[in-house]
Amino acid sequence: MRRSTLLLLTALTLAPLARAKEVLPFIDDDYSKAVAHAKTKNVPIFVEAWAPW
Amino acid sequence: MRAYVFTDKALERYAGQFVWLAIDTEKASNAAFLAKYPIHVWPTLLVVNPKNDSVVLRYAGGATVPQLSKLLDESEKTYRSKTLSSADSLLASADKLSNEEKYGEAAKAYEQAIAKAPKKWVHFGRSAELAIFSLMMANENAHCTQLALDLYPRLAGTVSGANVASGGLSCATELKPDDPKRAAALETLEKATREALMDKSIPLSGDDRSGLYDSLVSARETAKDDAGAAKLRSEWIAYLEGEAAKAKTAEQRAVYDPHRLSLYIMLKTPEKAIPMLEQSAKDFPNDYNPPSRLALAYKAMGRFDDALAASDRALAKAYGPRKITILRARYDIYIAKGDKEMAKKTLEETIRYAKSLPREQVSKAMIDSLEKRLKEAS
Repeated sequence: MRRSTLLLLTALTLAPLARAKEVLPFIDDDYSKAVAHAKTKNVPIFVEAWAPW
Repeated sequence: MRAYVFTDKALERYAGQFVWLAIDTEKASNAAFLAKYPIHVWPTLLVVNPKNDSVVLRYAGGATVPQLSKLLDESEKTYRSKTLSSADSLLASADKLSNEEKYGEAAKAYEQAIAKAPKKWVHFGRSAELAIFSLMMANENAHCTQLALDLYPRLAGTVSGANVASGGLSCATELKPDDPKRAAALETLEKATREALMDKSIPLSGDDRSGLYDSLVSARETAKDDAGAAKLRSEWIAYLEGEAAKAKTAEQRAVYDPHRLSLYIMLKTPEKAIPMLEQSAKDFPNDYNPPSRLALAYKAMGRFDDALAASDRALAKAYGPRKITILRARYDIYIAKGDKEMAKKTLEETIRYAKSLPREQVSKAMIDSLEKRLKEAS
């Protein structure tokens, strides 16, 4: 992971894709909602911080 | 990861073990999240304890399905455990320091965690990668190089080993030319990176492998071996074209667009990027990436009006900090075209837009550098 690779890496995640095919029930852009759900279920939160590059 | 990983049925068993959250760091509405958890690498994967907002695990970069499964198992275990081993708690404090962008201190904590680690410690690979990454971010190149040399033999044949070798190689290329250890370090780490690249049994993602090529090309350039660098670049583009041809979906194929575009421009064949980017523009009509990349390709071809038209299409769809990058590219197009007046106007527009974003999304350094450029242009 050299520095320019880090820049390249930033370019990897692709623009908003349909989530229909995903097997994991992602919540989009709502940290408070995720915290509330996680507290109720007593599980940790997995976060994918991404950008549509 | 969206194209290749989160769609994999093998991850279904984790669905109920976590709450899954996707944060688009470009959206102004996520500024509060970014203030709490600064993000400098995309994607960054985090596991957060909802009871106290603490970071259970932080991973910079994308992961393949086996890597992600391992990270999830690891973080589940850490989250549930009542008492942590000394290596585990050092690792937790290292992750916290890294979250606070204290990379020098984070690197030390990762190293201490590695030193205290029991045999077959599950976090060893990730700690090694993050120690190297933190040293790289802290610009501690000599230390980074040495640590990579020390850790690689214990990690050879694994994804972490590949990333440690290529991260270390990148640090070694930054060493001063008169550094007595430089030549030997470059040779060893280049060999290790090459070995990882060639080992098809290591489950590296396409972008990981592309990153290894990037480090290797840079090493050849450092050695002033133009022929060697050129040979690697053609190997690299052949690899990327092969992967894109094998892709099963449009999303998977488009993952390789930015890598291929950079290389086509580097190889002075930007025209080769046009059909692939036009295809992506058709496949993803709401995405600003294909037109913004087309603008770069047309500019490299000297077709400035086509570049500006593509830039218009990208700007109509763009939002967040990425729009600054597209505007800066537009400024470069006007400069290349020789239109100083429009270049200046574009720069002024860029500054206005950058200042309108939440401060978590745009650094002061970025605004300062734009203003400095405007001053020079006036």
